[in-house]
Amino acid sequence: MSEPFEPKIVAFVCTYCTYAGADLAGTSRLKYAPNVRIVRLPCTGRISPMFILKALQKGADSVLVSGCHPGDCHFTSGNYHARRRWTVFRALLSFTGIPEERIRFSWISAAEGAKFAELINEITDDTRKLGPFTQYQELQKVIETQSSY
Amino acid sequence: MGIQEQYRSEAAALLSSGEVKLVIGFGAGSTADRRRPLFARTPEEAQKFVLDAACIANLSTYLLAEGLLSDGKKVGVFLKPDGIRSVNILISEAQLKPEQVVILGYAIENGKDVAALEGRNISDFSIGEKIRNLTPPPHVIEAAEKIEAMSAEERFEYWKEEFSKCIKCYACRQVCPMCYCRRCIVDVNQPQWVSTSSHTLGNFEWNLVRAFHLAGRCASCGACDRACPVNIPLRLVNYRMGKEVRSAFDYVAGENSDQKPVLASFKQDDPETFIL
Repeated sequence: MSEPFEPKIVAFVCTYCTYAGADLAGTSRLKYAPNVRIVRLPCTGRISPMFILKALQKGADSVLVSGCHPGDCHFTSGNYHARRRWTVFRALLSFTGIPEERIRFSWISAAEGAKFAELINEITDDTRKLGPFTQYQELQKVIETQSSY
Repeated sequence: MGIQEQYRSEAAALLSSGEVKLVIGFGAGSTADRRRPLFARTPEEAQKFVLDAACIANLSTYLLAEGLLSDGKKVGVFLKPDGIRSVNILISEAQLKPEQVVILGYAIENGKDVAALEGRNISDFSIGEKIRNLTPPPHVIEAAEKIEAMSAEERFEYWKEEFSKCIKCYACRQVCPMCYCRRCIVDVNQPQWVSTSSHTLGNFEWNLVRAFHLAGRCASCGACDRACPVNIPLRLVNYRMGKEVRSAFDYVAGENSDQKPVLASFKQDDPETFIL
């Protein structure tokens, strides 16, 4: 009997806002889906599109990228730069066949613990409906089973 | 006097006066319809230049050859409008000093006639308006629209098919004037971001990274398309990226040499409809 599908979600968050928001969700004893793996980074500007690709390849079913609201960046403009990058990267992923629903972007401040909890619940539910992200995972399996690689 | 003779003597004059140390142009290729880059350092060598409708390569790639411009001397180069556009991009990214490049401009009209372009310095070519109105060849637009009309699964299958052909020769990188990183991300092995063997997943990685790094920087010269030994339509991805940058940020790469690179700048009111 196979186990029911539990989505794996990787969240790349900035330490100053969204990570603090997640912290607030925790200290406020808010309950949210345990499917999320949080990766804390100094700033959304530090999030290379490679991170998102790697997460999807290595088994993530959805990816969340989240940081400070515009104007709130600890480094003044990291999130503005990130926003431009995401716009382009999102179009690229969509053009090459990754469903847009798999990658979410949000602004969550340190005060928005409730928003964080809600968003994680929402993404988990949506991903559960979408099912596992098999496209990259199957290609990954091919590599692992072929010794010539 | 035909344009070939005119440009031969101009290149020779530039070299003999000592204004430039080198002229990069085209010479005869291995077959009648192919041209190969020719690097002339003396007026005599300049007599070997060929200029006709087969001269389609974007020679601006060679301007960034390591050490070429580090002595501060000038270099002459034969460029079509797409080459001039790439020089604009390279200047805006601080890779070139405008005064070091002497441009022998030409345009290929109707695929057979070659016309001279006025001007020698990059500032002489006001190509901004033209680039804004420039459309890539109809087959590129058509193919890109066909892909956009597909469902996500079909798109994935399409690119899986295409990228599975990739042999990771990196010819697309070598030929591209915009791929000038001293250490390309695929050559980095700690951490190894992009797998070195040419399996489909790693090919996806490489081609996506390449496209992302060229977003808003592509001069759409089509060199990657021509260089690809397995005929992956690389240009389609670049075209789609250019379209996105234009619609989202009203940015067209290489319009002029003063623009700020699109992903290295921002506006506070950039669109963010997709952000929750």
